[in-house]
Amino acid sequence: MAVHDTESGGNGFEPKILVFACNWCSYAGADLAGVSRLQMPANCRVIRVMCSARVRPEFVITALSKGLDGVLVLGCHPGDCHYSEGNYFTRRRGLLLQKLLQYVGIEPERFQVRWISASEGAKFAETIGQVTDQIKALGPNRSQNGMQPAEPGDS
Amino acid sequence: MSNRSVVVVGGGIAGIQASIDLANMGLQVYLVEQSPSIGGRMAQLDKTFPTNDCSMCILAPKMIECAGHENVHLLTYSELAGIDGEAGDFRVTVRRKPRYVDVSKCTGCGECAEKCPRRVPDEFNVGLDKRKAIYLPFPQAVPRKMTIDAGACLYLSKGRCRVCQETCQAGAIDFEQQEEVVELAAGAIVLATGFDPFDPRSLKEYGYGEIENVITGLEYERLICASGPTGGHLERPSDGQVPEIIAFIQCVGSRDVNYQPYCSSVCCMHATKEAILANEHYPDLKSVIFYTDMRAVGKQFQEYIIRAKEEYGVSYLRSRPGKITVNGETGNPLVWYDETVYSEAGDPERRVASMEVNLVVLCQALVPHSVHEEMASKLGLELDGSGFVAVEDRLLRPVDTSVPGIFACGFCQEPQDIPDSVVQASAAAARVAEILSLASKELEHA
Amino acid sequence: MPKTRVGVFICHCGNNIGGVVRVPDVVEYARTLPNVVHAEDNLYTCSEEGLSSIKDKVEQQGLNRVVVASCTPRTHEPLFRGACEEAGLNRYLFEFVNIREHCSWVHMHDPVMATEKAKELVRMGVAKACHLEPQEDFESDVFPAALVIGGGVAGMTAALCLANQGIQVYLVEREQELGGLIRGVQTLFPTEQNTEELLHPLIEQVKNHPQITVYAGTVVEKTSGFIGDFDVAVRANGEASNLKVGTIIVATGAEELKPGGLYRYSELPNVVTQLEFEERFKAGADLPRSVAIINCVGARIPQRTYCGRFCCTTAIKNAIWLKEQDPETSVYVLHRDVMAYGVAIEEFYRRAMELGVRFVRYDVESPPQILGDARAEAIKVQHQLMGKEVVLPADLVVLTTPLVARDDNEELSRMLKVPLGSEGFFLEAHLKLRPIEFSTDGVYVCGAARYPCNIPESVSQAYAAAAKASIPIREGMVRVEAITAVCDERRCSACGNCVEVCPFGAVELQEGRFGKAAHVNPAQCKGCGCCVASCPSGAMQQRGFNDRQLLSMIGALAEETTSGGA
Repeated sequence: MAVHDTESGGNGFEPKILVFACNWCSYAGADLAGVSRLQMPANCRVIRVMCSARVRPEFVITALSKGLDGVLVLGCHPGDCHYSEGNYFTRRRGLLLQKLLQYVGIEPERFQVRWISASEGAKFAETIGQVTDQIKALGPNRSQNGMQPAEPGDS
Repeated sequence: MSNRSVVVVGGGIAGIQASIDLANMGLQVYLVEQSPSIGGRMAQLDKTFPTNDCSMCILAPKMIECAGHENVHLLTYSELAGIDGEAGDFRVTVRRKPRYVDVSKCTGCGECAEKCPRRVPDEFNVGLDKRKAIYLPFPQAVPRKMTIDAGACLYLSKGRCRVCQETCQAGAIDFEQQEEVVELAAGAIVLATGFDPFDPRSLKEYGYGEIENVITGLEYERLICASGPTGGHLERPSDGQVPEIIAFIQCVGSRDVNYQPYCSSVCCMHATKEAILANEHYPDLKSVIFYTDMRAVGKQFQEYIIRAKEEYGVSYLRSRPGKITVNGETGNPLVWYDETVYSEAGDPERRVASMEVNLVVLCQALVPHSVHEEMASKLGLELDGSGFVAVEDRLLRPVDTSVPGIFACGFCQEPQDIPDSVVQASAAAARVAEILSLASKELEHA
Repeated sequence: MPKTRVGVFICHCGNNIGGVVRVPDVVEYARTLPNVVHAEDNLYTCSEEGLSSIKDKVEQQGLNRVVVASCTPRTHEPLFRGACEEAGLNRYLFEFVNIREHCSWVHMHDPVMATEKAKELVRMGVAKACHLEPQEDFESDVFPAALVIGGGVAGMTAALCLANQGIQVYLVEREQELGGLIRGVQTLFPTEQNTEELLHPLIEQVKNHPQITVYAGTVVEKTSGFIGDFDVAVRANGEASNLKVGTIIVATGAEELKPGGLYRYSELPNVVTQLEFEERFKAGADLPRSVAIINCVGARIPQRTYCGRFCCTTAIKNAIWLKEQDPETSVYVLHRDVMAYGVAIEEFYRRAMELGVRFVRYDVESPPQILGDARAEAIKVQHQLMGKEVVLPADLVVLTTPLVARDDNEELSRMLKVPLGSEGFFLEAHLKLRPIEFSTDGVYVCGAARYPCNIPESVSQAYAAAAKASIPIREGMVRVEAITAVCDERRCSACGNCVEVCPFGAVELQEGRFGKAAHVNPAQCKGCGCCVASCPSGAMQQRGFNDRQLLSMIGALAEETTSGGA
């Protein structure tokens, strides 16, 4: 079942997008997309966390400062967090972080927070397709020149 | 196996919960389930009231916990064949149907199903679409092992094909597999066999089976489900159009001396949920629920109804329609009903009215899926007049059957929803532990 | 420190991965990664062969980290962790990379990109694996006793069930007598037996059971601790005692709503509640000639939206009782829906109608009115189904009110650190699948304390609570997966963010070696990582998901950007 055209090649820019997916909902939704063979662009790389609230702003900033083109944080729908409140923290952090990133000149599409439940395989595929398209249209992330990234082990 | 083993019959949410609790208590659990996967009816639901949780999302972790527990032994695609003995010393005969797949080799990768040429109606999707002869009942099936439906398989019925065998790189296809009859020794038995939907075909006045756009509650559930046959698009049977107005009819076959005299308990909430989902998917869609009493008795249930009315525009019309006819040109069903409640105070007339809708959903009665009558009578297991497993001391022993050592939980003994079934499942586990009189010391070494 | 020696196992999964991803290329690539000393491919890594290969290579090659790139950790992580453990490697030195559900299956038309992606995912997995540390699951002892708060039917049932399994139970009851709410009820549904017949043997069993210690006339004053180790202070007649228990069951019940200003209840002597009816009339007073029972009094209204669940049952029960005492008595039940759910109650409802009980449906917008001066004499009501106002004779008016939450629920909820719902009843961990548990481990709830319920439901819940409460006691310990948070006291500034943020109350500030610092109770920690992300100094870390590990994955990903595809 093709959801998104995935041909690469040519001189088209292919963004590299980091995705944080929570174990209970969004990672399971991603698995379901896989089981359902929903096709999507191959630009995203998933890091599994137990809860989206694990994602600290420094991860997002590090990723962007190292040249990754976008960061997507996925969690359970508000109200459905496996740990009751985690995704509320994610939501609040996300809003603040958005403002900060825009302030330093990073386009808002490069950092997004979305909610995907374990049964929303199609929504996962759609989200990946949409976000990839958005970031592709922005072009490569050139912000690393102005940012000081944290080295692993610094914090 | 000693009397520290328990056989749980039925792998729906009640059977799964009972198994997990019993296993956590240190008992060995044999969970017998007739379909190829555990999960039961809850796996077929899209969302669950009143939280509107995605059903599979909350069920799947329980399924994995159950199957992964070192004390739980799944016997799926298996049926209860007989019970002998008594509390503390039962002998349970289980007939394991051949899957024609070696489960020790099968990784559930699904390549065989991709290549299988044979399609038959998919029972998980209530016949709304097709599955292959070699199949997984649904994507999150546990155990994740393929099963060959012998009746559908070209090789097993006609001696041709075998594409699955050629395709399988693990060499897991085994057409020589035989039915296996296993005898399990158990100290106690827990029945959790759930329910089946009542077929409303016999209610000729509603036209189910004749009028295309009259469907059942379970069919609707599969249509609205994102992982169902239409990907969650509510396509009505006659022309695939999204309905603008849906009529839900309650108590189809329930509270009816001609069919099931009892109240199936969950359908009022179920219809409300379905109406809410319809409106969530299609904000312009109107739903009308034809009811007699709106039985929303559980926690947060009344609030759910209020939300349905205020946020989702669901209408509730007190009436049990007498008939459904069809507008031949449009395929639209016409629901004929008596007004039982006067539309206005002082209005002297109560009319017979008709409402033209695009789709009718019959909220059918739910019928207990019990132990076979012969087995029950041989055992002395009493069933009540409607087929529910009888409970003698309803007040103080609400999960005890008429046979000491055999307990029943969930819908097979009383119409009830998921939380009540889960409670009864744990209650059955507690009763098992009690009658096996196990001291904690003994179980340290279990 | 021993050099890090990583083994990488890439799965073909038949054709599922191998048919899209060029597995041999990924294996070759893996060999070039830092610290990787072994890389191989398997047809099915999860098969007997694959697992044996992992075990063999761990032993032969002295691997101290294992990375498997195959399907999804959500199903197979325990399997591979188990294989590592069998080979003598700590199970938490294993990392899973998903190149099937997240790669080969979703990029079927782009094998080139899929292969590149698989390589990068493996690179990320190896980077994390290098930073993994051996971990042990946390185990904490469980004190072999249980506390049941509340000596009604639910509390007594739970206590007996636990005691019959050989578990020591402390049953604390506020009143001097056991029995709870149903002591005020004369006859029960559906058996129609006298309550005494049911209660008396139950109470005797509880009092005489060697494993149950009853504390009557006693209240809980203070609780502290966590699952396996609760300290409970109780007081009876000025005397204090301390109890130590492993698990706690809340069975404190509820109260009948006294309907205050509704239906002239406080004003007229012959307008009573159901419990008052039980007390006065079923115990032998003269019976009235006509009775009107009004349902949904103070329930299903804006101020109190919930349904009392079994009050229709009670109304039907008492309506039938009245007819059985004297078939000539006129009995009306005024209702807004008859909640006769299930088998027995529906049957009961039908029987009531057969006996001549008249059910009158009214609308919440037009509630019945009580007529009469010094006494109620009749009821005027808009009969919804007849469409007109009717006047019904009523020598007695019985108001069916719902159960409401007890006033002391708030205090108890604070003591036990468990929440109350909007109606004031205790709020369970999950409405559907965990109806008698709390998010706080080791505490359970049953009966009307959770929500109005009839006796069979209350008793089922009590058994269920007993099942849950017995499990940690049977096991003797609580085991927690090694993904809990840990605070490095040297870096902690005791800002308290983590304490605030933890959904489970698992973090506390304590005096430590370096002054005040956050301390995580592993017995309560669920491994979500909320506290870690809120820690400004990085003192708080999550085992298996710490900053160093996750940042290394980000760094590994960012290393070689493959812009433009192949």
